[in-house]
Formats: sequence, structure tokens, C-alpha cells
Amino acid sequence: MALKANMKILVIDDMATMRKIIKNMLGQIGFTNITEADDGATGLPMIEKATEIGEPYEFIVSDWNMPQLTGLDLLKKLRATEEYKKLPFLMITAEAEQGNVVIAVKAGVSNFIVKPFSAQVLKEKIDKIFNK
Amino acid sequence: MGLIDDPSMKEIIVEFCDESLELLDELEACLEELEEDPTKTAKLEQFGQVIDRIMGAAKSIGADEIATFCDLGKAIGYKSSQIKDVALLEVVAAILFDAHDLLGRMVDQLKTGNDNGLKSLNTQAFVTRLKWLQDKFKNIERSSVAYKNDKEVLDQTSIDDLMSSLGL
Repeated sequence: MALKANMKILVIDDMATMRKIIKNMLGQIGFTNITEADDGATGLPMIEKATEIGEPYEFIVSDWNMPQLTGLDLLKKLRATEEYKKLPFLMITAEAEQGNVVIAVKAGVSNFIVKPFSAQVLKEKIDKIFNK
Repeated sequence: MGLIDDPSMKEIIVEFCDESLELLDELEACLEELEEDPTKTAKLEQFGQVIDRIMGAAKSIGADEIATFCDLGKAIGYKSSQIKDVALLEVVAAILFDAHDLLGRMVDQLKTGNDNGLKSLNTQAFVTRLKWLQDKFKNIERSSVAYKNDKEVLDQTSIDDLMSSLGL
């Protein structure tokens, strides 16, 4: 799939600091159509609503540890629905233990990135997801 | 240069500090409930989840001392939530109260840009105490939010290799 600057991206993180950092990085990479959600629980209805109105999100960037609905649970809910089985989903986490990576992969994550990361690493991950 | 040293990122740093101070209130509430009833170990699990959120953002802005503190606090929170020894849980609560207090001062000083003040807090001495406490739980494997059988920590390259081996 070719990457386009106006690809509709949803950044989900409970920390506003992280949302701002990630949005800045995505902007540096060249993306322009970025929306934020502050938890998986608020992100999920946004994803569903966007699909309903015919303007679906094309890429989800989500933190793992969030207070109401974790990134992992959000991913599982999405993958349980035919519509979102292939929605590109990048998981962000502050830790990188092998067991967690395996759990995320089994749940259907598209790729996995560990904090702290640079815009360059984020770009590489995005390229890997969309150039498979 | 990390974000923490970049003058144009001052707004993000202040936002991080404000968010962290709010989360510190949540941490304090967890510890108060634990102090009242040390058998409420679920509060330690919650402590681990909340401090993990500060840790992720701290790492991202390059606030390394705060991130190290949070990393230790998280491991102690998750690991101690799996023990039943009330006397040890009381010690955990006391040390985590001190850690919470010091973390609050570190965040305050980051917000005001008072680096000299941060040095005067002598955080390394307290990190040694936290490491001592963490050592008490060295036989407990689970130290993070999700259950896992394999506690090997990976760097980004290893994650890429693992994901490739898993077909991604």
C-alpha cells in the first residue's frame, strides 16, 4: 500500500504529552491528517463512527497501558470484527519484554515500538507496516 | 539533544509535569489505601500501572532520572502486589511513600528548570534503597502490566528480529 500524506491516522494515548510528541513526529514524517484519543475506550467509538460515515481511519497508533481500555484490549476488539481485521495497528509501550511482544503479535498487532523512539524509527516502523 | 534540553519543547515539558503531578495524586491515593489496609495488594498493581504511564512519557522527553525512578517503582509495585507478607508490605508502602514524595519534587524542579535543585535531592541514594527493595522480590517474575512467561527484555533490533521470525 502506498503511503499518502493525508492518510487518516488516530493516535491513542492517555498522556497528552505522548500524544503531542507522536503527532509532532508524524508531522515531521509528512502526515497531515492526525486525530487524537485519550484512551482505548474513547478511541474505539471514534474508529467505529469514522467507518460509519465512510471516512475510516487507515492507521492506528496506540499506547499499550491505558486506564480504561488498554491498547491490547482495543486491538483484540478490533481484530474480532471483520471490518478491522487488517486495519494497520502500531502498538507503543514503555517496556519490551519478549512475552509482551508475543502477546501483541498473537493479538494481531502490525508492529511494535518501544519508548523512547525517534521520528526516524517511527518512520521505519510505518514503512514496514505499509510495504509488506 | 533530548526534548528536555530543547527550548522549543518547553510547552511539552510543562505539560508532562502537570500530567505527572495529577498522576502522583493517584499514586498517593493508592498508597494511602494500602497503608490503611496492607492486604489490599491490588493497590500496588494499580500503583505499577499509574507510574508506568509517567515512565513512558519521561523516557520520551529524556527525563532519565524520573524514568529510572518510575521504572523501579513500577517493578516494586507489580512484584510486591504478589506477596502476602504484611510486615514487608508495610515497608513497601513506607518506601513508596518516600519515593512518591521525591518523585513529586523531581517533577516540580523539572517544571521550574531548577537543575541544581534536582541534584541536591540526592536521588541516587534513594535509587539504591529502591534497588534494595526490588532485590527482595527477585524471585517474583511478573514486573509489568501483562502476564508473560518470558521476562527477557528486548532492544528495538531484537523486537524487529522477533517480529520477522513471527512473520511480521
